[in-house]
Amino acid sequence: MFLIRTLHKWFGLVLGLQFLLWALSGAVMALLDHHKVSGEHALLPVAGLQAPAELLPLARVAQAVGQPIQKLQLKPLYDTYVYEATTPAGVKIVNAVTGQPVAIDAGKARELAVARWSGSAPPRSVEYIDQHTLETRDLPLPIWRVEFADEERHALLVSASTGEVLAAKNDTWRLWDIAWMLHIMDYDDRQSFNHPLIITLGTASAWLALSGLILLFRSFRRSDVAWLLDGAEALRRRGR
Amino acid sequence: MRLPFLARTTHKWLALIVAIQAVFWTLSGVYMTAVHIDIIHGDRLVKAATPQLVAMDGLIEPAQLAQTTAGFRSAKLDHQLGQPVYVVQTTDGPELFDARSGAKLSPLDEDAARARARALFAEAGAIVKSELLTKAPLEIQTRPVPIWRVEFEGAWHPTLYISPRTGELVSKRSDLWRTFDFVWMLHIMDYDDRQDVNNILIRIFTWMGVATAATGGWLLLYSFRRKRRVRKPAAKVAAKAGA
Repeated sequence: MFLIRTLHKWFGLVLGLQFLLWALSGAVMALLDHHKVSGEHALLPVAGLQAPAELLPLARVAQAVGQPIQKLQLKPLYDTYVYEATTPAGVKIVNAVTGQPVAIDAGKARELAVARWSGSAPPRSVEYIDQHTLETRDLPLPIWRVEFADEERHALLVSASTGEVLAAKNDTWRLWDIAWMLHIMDYDDRQSFNHPLIITLGTASAWLALSGLILLFRSFRRSDVAWLLDGAEALRRRGR
Repeated sequence: MRLPFLARTTHKWLALIVAIQAVFWTLSGVYMTAVHIDIIHGDRLVKAATPQLVAMDGLIEPAQLAQTTAGFRSAKLDHQLGQPVYVVQTTDGPELFDARSGAKLSPLDEDAARARARALFAEAGAIVKSELLTKAPLEIQTRPVPIWRVEFEGAWHPTLYISPRTGELVSKRSDLWRTFDFVWMLHIMDYDDRQDVNNILIRIFTWMGVATAATGGWLLLYSFRRKRRVRKPAAKVAAKAGA
């Protein structure tokens, strides 16, 4: 038992700060509402749209795309139907009636973001992102980042190749993300929780917790629970 | 009350409540960090999709689908089992069409679902069993039903879920994923749905974990200093316990 106490002490000395950070970051993530963190409330469902009767035939679509097609999708993009073609050279979008190429430029991205934005604040800035940031780390680039002037500083991330709104990030997410970084100990990308550092410290803290649990069996004396035992005794006497 | 005594007492009483959960947290954390998330997700269970060029000749027009399908929203031209198909989204959910004949293929029967699962499966094992589920089990609780469940022979019971409405792969599961899901439940203390990371139990226990760690740190201040005064009684107790 003395050995376990010594080990608990030394493991605590080495791991204590990380253990505290795990508990603290875990507590923060448990407090932050995950519906707000996910940004789902910031997005409206895609509006319904009637497909036009005069749709471009496939042969003309192939012409308009001008590239071999691997996948082809006919879909609404806000207020127009488009063909989205996946080609070896990337995604190409053409208007489903005229065959005109649809460019997802800053103005279009802003329009698409506003159409899906559930808030009332206007967009504040539109920014082109072709280098990964913390906000876009799980998403395919390039992306238009449309930030709104609301209190939570919502940013809608619009794919610059498909025009789809891929995600919504806000200050609740940004705070959550700091806690997440501390929790998974990936201080650069905040992405991987499968690295040697966390596996080693995790295993060591499993011992810290387990040795603590074992020590509990020796840490309580009769005097610790006297109030309880005396209370129970008094009750029993009154019962008689 | 002397401070070291206060630190020890609070640490002890807090630990009495959170110790078992702390063991669960750390052990589940070790599993989740030690087994790579790509293996948990079963990325190696299915073949990577090889891009196939679409031959447009002889395909029915999307315009035809848009006009004849009630509640048409979108159509995707894709390949399944080497054949061109349309996956059509409608206001009542998706439907699958043969892109050459225009025939409606959904809902898929058992043979069609098994054929798609076998074509996707990257390992050598044969199909152990397949069934149409009308109630989603916990491991795919958020997915729409009915759904084809196709289980394969192989390590960790690999299982593919195929949608009868689209013919597409909806989920892949194995015992490694199921174990992850179980330890995740222990980690976030949501014993019903294993989804709610904001439940009241985890909120209380995490802050008690913070307090336990903090009082533990406080206790460290008294555990290494002043060797003579602290060590002597401790040694005496240890000697007594050993005797």
